[in-house]
Amino acid sequence: MPKPYRPATGTPIEELETPCLILDLDALEHNIGVIARLYQDADCKLRPHVKNHKSPQIAHMQLRAGGTVGGVCAAKVSEAEVMVQAGIPNVLIANQVVGRDKLARLASLALRAEMLVGCDDSQNASDLSAAAVAAGAEIGVLIEVNTSMGRAGTRVAGDAVTLAQHINNLPGLRFQGIMSHQIIDGAPDREARFTKGRADMQVVLDVKAAIERAGLPVETVSTGETWSYDVAPTVQGVTEVQAGSYVLLDTSYAYMTDFRIAAKVLGTVTSIPRPGFATGDVSIEAMASAKGLPTIEAPAGVRVTRLTYEQTFLEFDEGVTVKAGDRYTLLPAQEDMMVNRWDQYIVVRNGKVEDVWDITARGRVH
Amino acid sequence: MQRPIFKPIGTPIEELDTPSLVVDISALEHNLEAVHGFFRDIPVKMRPHVHAHKTPAIAHLQLSVPGNAGGIAVINVSEAELFAQHGFTDITLSSPVVSPSKLRRLCALTHTVKLSLPVDSAPGRDILSQAAVANSVTFDVLVDINTYPPRGGAEAGAPSVALAQQVSAAPGLRFEGFTTVGGPISEGSPDEMIVRDKANVQKMLDTREMAERAGLDVAVVSAGNHTHDAHVIASMAGVTEVRSGAYPLIDHRHWPHCPDLIPGARVLSTVISRPESGRAIVNAGQKAISRDMGMPKVDGRTDATVAGLNAEHGILDLEGDAIKDFQVGDAVWLLIADLNTSTALHDYIFAARDGVLEAVWEISARGLYD
Repeated sequence: MPKPYRPATGTPIEELETPCLILDLDALEHNIGVIARLYQDADCKLRPHVKNHKSPQIAHMQLRAGGTVGGVCAAKVSEAEVMVQAGIPNVLIANQVVGRDKLARLASLALRAEMLVGCDDSQNASDLSAAAVAAGAEIGVLIEVNTSMGRAGTRVAGDAVTLAQHINNLPGLRFQGIMSHQIIDGAPDREARFTKGRADMQVVLDVKAAIERAGLPVETVSTGETWSYDVAPTVQGVTEVQAGSYVLLDTSYAYMTDFRIAAKVLGTVTSIPRPGFATGDVSIEAMASAKGLPTIEAPAGVRVTRLTYEQTFLEFDEGVTVKAGDRYTLLPAQEDMMVNRWDQYIVVRNGKVEDVWDITARGRVH
Repeated sequence: MQRPIFKPIGTPIEELDTPSLVVDISALEHNLEAVHGFFRDIPVKMRPHVHAHKTPAIAHLQLSVPGNAGGIAVINVSEAELFAQHGFTDITLSSPVVSPSKLRRLCALTHTVKLSLPVDSAPGRDILSQAAVANSVTFDVLVDINTYPPRGGAEAGAPSVALAQQVSAAPGLRFEGFTTVGGPISEGSPDEMIVRDKANVQKMLDTREMAERAGLDVAVVSAGNHTHDAHVIASMAGVTEVRSGAYPLIDHRHWPHCPDLIPGARVLSTVISRPESGRAIVNAGQKAISRDMGMPKVDGRTDATVAGLNAEHGILDLEGDAIKDFQVGDAVWLLIADLNTSTALHDYIFAARDGVLEAVWEISARGLYD
């Protein structure tokens, strides 16, 4: 349910009702600026992934900053609908779209925006074609190639070539190129990121070469993530990068020191039942915890030891004074899962509320 | 706002847009009867903790099946406000409140709702008392007792009795009794947990006796988080109510502890890719079914397991018959590991009976954290 609570512009953050999700506008603008400066003069461009922030407002900021392909990525049809409705002109659904109803929705979007979609299956391609023809629309198709996720995507180059030829022969579809997601473990240094990033991207480029040898041009190679955002522009042949996490960031990306954490949760200490232990009002549902516990940004000397359905458990050092009513700020371990559990960002700068933005695509999982 | 393609009542359930959170009404009714039936003819009553489902339609069903306490438990002020708006008049909060703005909201609620609030420290008692006096209301207060594993709460025995006496003497407050929260179900076997939980509740009962010897009237002794052993705790003389959240829909973490209940909530997903013979990808990831407290399971299949859950995708390992049975476009039913964090992801529950859509219930308290 949308909540009636909307703090007035100018409200000091100390006066906000907690828990609340705050968006640090300086950090957000910094992150968007880093990407824009790198990609402005590169052949490779950014296609920002909106699944992380789920906000058309932020998507427009990303596109306006420059260095992009002029469009975004979305994870689901219903998420793409939010973006098209908000005036985003070009959306890649970087995923498979399956089922008659969803395909009809995708085709309908393609009448109003340039729509691209991932595909790894010939029957799915035929279904996409039928939906596009029925709507009188054209849908661009990128073949999904598996590199390191073990998820969807073709496993051998020959299958991608056959699928590309199939797509190329289908009415209503435009064979546009290939795409891939990648994953890297732990907290790699720059050299490890470049080694892994280049190896993954080479797998994708080998598929591109195979399709081109069969006589089909591959216009788009869409790959790369936040952790390889600076690798992609050094790899000839990659045309766009699907980065999303960079814009809000979280503690799991602490090794990506070019960016800053922009979305945080404010909480209030509710009790100090015994020395060194306090409870706070931020729950597991407000943060998500599958990637680990959040980190306390402030105050110093306080640690999160557990999140329950109701509370944060906090421990603090001797000499640190904590009392009921004190505020604390949590940095997420997993920003997209956190954001997906909130309805609005309270946008702050210099310690004051500047605006409130709806997380319009929250819950758009269809 | 979630935006599935809504289908009319009467639609076969596997034709719903996916991923969707689906509740089997027959299972829900079975579970309510099984649990409330136990409480019907004994003095102890079940107080449903509605946070697990966050859904007024289910909470009303719970209060319509005799054996309940006539009221509900919630976590925070905004949940209390939401359920008050939906007609609930007896609400227990299970977390302490200290912020001035939230205390004003609670004072406003006391005009239409019988509220019970927890307190676990002297400063917390002072904060509540001052707010009650300033707003000319009276708060009913439960002293929250810390048991195992350590969390908030006053220590059992003398410290809790002393706090109860202070509450009793504080202007604007009425001492109502004691409350505690049972331990997680992640530690040890069901039998070991019963031993642990009984020891925890016994501490509260001993504290009650001390308080009564000290001249205090103890009307309420409320034991929380006991879906897994509600009947055991209810059989302990002196307990007046048991709070449980998961029993109406029972998730697969709790199910082994309550085998007579039927898992009533599942997520309907669709196979969107079959990239290898032993692997299927479904369109339900962590944004459709949580893994904060454990992985989902594929319902009704032993030859398909959830190997991974990414943000937007579930990754299944297939063997045996599943390799030919799971095709792109097919429905896959996922059993939920944890209701609380999974209902935090959806706006609607699609309620079905005999495989047909019967109602769409709004998860009205989703996203209410303050």
